[in-house]
Amino acid sequence: MRIKVDKSRCTGCKLCQQICTIEHYHEINPKKAAIHIGAEFPAPGVFTPMLCVQCGACARACPEIAIERTGNDGAFVIDPSKCTNCGVCIETCPIGVMYSHADAPTPIKCDLCLKCTEVCNTGALTVVDTPRATSR
Amino acid sequence: MVVYLRSGGKLRDRLKPDVDQYTRKFEIGGTPTLREILVAMDIPFALVAFGFSQGKVRRLDYRPSEGEVVTLQPPVAGG
Amino acid sequence: MYGYGGTIVRINLETGEIGRSPTPETFAREWLGARGFVAKTIYDEVPRDADPLGPENLFIIAPGVLTGSFAPCGSKVGFGCVSPLTNGHADSNMGGHLGPELKFAGYDMIVFERISPKPVYLFVDDDTIELRPAEQYWGMGSLDLEARMKKDLGEDFQIATIGPAGENGVAFACITHDFGRQAGRCGVGAVMGSKKIKAIAVRGTRSLPVHDLPGLTKHTYDIIQRTKTHPNMEPWQKYGTALFVSWANEHGCFPSRNFQTTVHEGWEGISGEKLAEEVLVTHKACFGCWMNCGKYSRARIPGKPDAYLEGPEYETIALCGGSCGMTDIHHVAYANYLCDNLGLDTMSGGNIVGFAMECFQRGIITQKDLEGHELRWGNIDDFEHFLRMIAARRGIGETFSHGTRAAAQKLGRGTIEFAEQAKGMEFSGYDTRWYSAQLLSYCTSDIGAHHNRSWAITADIELGQDTPVGKAPVVIYLQHIRPLFDTWPCCRLFWGELDVTPEEHAEAIKYLTGWAMTIEESMRVSEKIWNLTRAHYLERNGGPGRKHDVAPLRQLEERIPNGPAEGRKVGTENFEYMLNDYYANRGWDRDGNPTREVLELLGLKHAADNLEKRGLLGKPIPGGIPKVRGQKLKPKAM
Repeated sequence: MRIKVDKSRCTGCKLCQQICTIEHYHEINPKKAAIHIGAEFPAPGVFTPMLCVQCGACARACPEIAIERTGNDGAFVIDPSKCTNCGVCIETCPIGVMYSHADAPTPIKCDLCLKCTEVCNTGALTVVDTPRATSR
Repeated sequence: MVVYLRSGGKLRDRLKPDVDQYTRKFEIGGTPTLREILVAMDIPFALVAFGFSQGKVRRLDYRPSEGEVVTLQPPVAGG
Repeated sequence: MYGYGGTIVRINLETGEIGRSPTPETFAREWLGARGFVAKTIYDEVPRDADPLGPENLFIIAPGVLTGSFAPCGSKVGFGCVSPLTNGHADSNMGGHLGPELKFAGYDMIVFERISPKPVYLFVDDDTIELRPAEQYWGMGSLDLEARMKKDLGEDFQIATIGPAGENGVAFACITHDFGRQAGRCGVGAVMGSKKIKAIAVRGTRSLPVHDLPGLTKHTYDIIQRTKTHPNMEPWQKYGTALFVSWANEHGCFPSRNFQTTVHEGWEGISGEKLAEEVLVTHKACFGCWMNCGKYSRARIPGKPDAYLEGPEYETIALCGGSCGMTDIHHVAYANYLCDNLGLDTMSGGNIVGFAMECFQRGIITQKDLEGHELRWGNIDDFEHFLRMIAARRGIGETFSHGTRAAAQKLGRGTIEFAEQAKGMEFSGYDTRWYSAQLLSYCTSDIGAHHNRSWAITADIELGQDTPVGKAPVVIYLQHIRPLFDTWPCCRLFWGELDVTPEEHAEAIKYLTGWAMTIEESMRVSEKIWNLTRAHYLERNGGPGRKHDVAPLRQLEERIPNGPAEGRKVGTENFEYMLNDYYANRGWDRDGNPTREVLELLGLKHAADNLEKRGLLGKPIPGGIPKVRGQKLKPKAM
């Protein structure tokens, strides 16, 4: 499956960011979330949730082979025991959704835990089934 | 006809929900307006700002259809 | 300490000195945050004769325990000072994302002292706190500046700004954030401007220390799931507060043409539905809120550039709309934008312009005063020109820049009789002639006429609109529970709309801090603050209290001329009855002065001593004060 983003429904509430860091770091710290919310204000006045679409470009680029499809429903996940935090994946990501934070031991990406879809109340983030891609 | 009314807060106490915690099933003759339904249910319509169904605001002169679910929204302060 | 940022900052703007100290747990537990932190600090530190726009006033920013906390709707941050409108305690809060950002940076309160020699902005980036030059920003509109600073500093900074009105010391200037959230009331923007602080920019990348995160997470997660299907969720998400324009008109409390009447001809053109149809761009939420009541809009008026704004809310529609005679939602939205960018509270602003429009209607001010312009009801060009005169304090704009009461006192000619204000701060969007509990609420509020302190409209309906009986105890209860949300702080709409109980909000404090703090304890804090700000007000303004709890003559004695509330007025006798009932139920004497008994019960012996020194202490009440002050409304038996 994947997380479908409908940006026309995003209100910028950041509940997704809070639950993401609670789930992954046992902290409330939106800056460590695997989802960022772009905001174009004053005009046109639009929010854009931005998170990993599991394209695998980071996995192919990682010099340590630290990123593999071991996550929920084939999500690409970083293995912290192999990651050296070199940052190549961040530069490689074609849509800029591999994030970093000074306190995080590795770069930060979505692992399809789906908690954000459980708290989003507008339908901006929903779960959709898709056939699993056969790349890599 | 049968109409389903939903509300929260203090209005819910007056509604006496019987379908779920918010919803009351109400039978009434004819095709009344929301205002007439509130009178029949003994709910002061000053305590209802408007009805809401199918994504639209319904004024109190709206006539619900058979089986329609209408939320009753109380007045409240904004900011 | 859990649940808080951990550090209090004090900044001397004269010397540039920036000091930090750990937030004392006793202070946090006793005052909780925001309004509480402000009330305590203002009372203890600001000299009683300090000029609100002078160097001895303090300007305080404070989130609180529930801010940035994953508790429902923990978005709020409070600003506080002595108000230039009322000369008393002021706190005004805003949603958006600034408060949480301060908590993530590690701060619980920032206190600004003295006045900066040059314009500055506060720059906070986790541990880094700097006063940076702001001359290049001085003169810019609030909204324009936020856009510029997001570019200059980065999108992940949260920005709050004042506009030219705050720079110029207009008494009802506001602070704007997130392109349309305001700390609107009490003139907090004027005090910020008096200190030459143009903006605040904050980035916080740390996490909030939480005592029991799994407990808190489950607590809030369950509330999220439960409230998703609440009956009020969908209309609120779709329309926000603007939805009550219709009810207010249908029930005779909507201000039309400076409160001359209470049903507005053409209100359908400025309703919530019109907003959604014509101007809405996107729904917008504060931090941690899943009801997203914010409505971001675009006003399009031929001959004017498109204006983007958050709003208009019910209040702006009532005061910039109805009270100024407008009937076009684009005009109201544009008026909202003007206020926001100039940095003026839309509520006081709309009220004052409406008051000026009535002065123009009566020939008390003329085209000569208005630089050749007119001030016609419903005319957006006239509105704009006059608003700009006020923001610049130019010509007769200077007279109105001090608020409705001050303007009426200067103009004379009986204008005070139609100045809708209490203690110098303008009425918010409700005419009270058929809602006497609301009039009592406005006139006994510590910050002047604001319904955030007590919204009693449905209490009036439940208790009977044509009687003063039974209103006071309910108003007192509301004056404790509603400002509690300004103290925790968090948005009160989840309590008001989605059946999230005060107990549930208090429970979040337990998970956050580890304190076993009950709702009763929180309510006690709120009552304590209420009495403290009362004492403060009397110490600054003299007494007795009753002298200040005064209602506008129009609300007392001028009958509503038409509409659903035709013929209604509150009546002086009824108002005096309610005041007597109110003081008795508060444990204050008949002059409206707090008694030693109630002050000491609330831990405010020092306030009692101070009042006594000044001859303002309430006389003891025979038989003692009521055991419980304030009563929750019990709906009539059905």
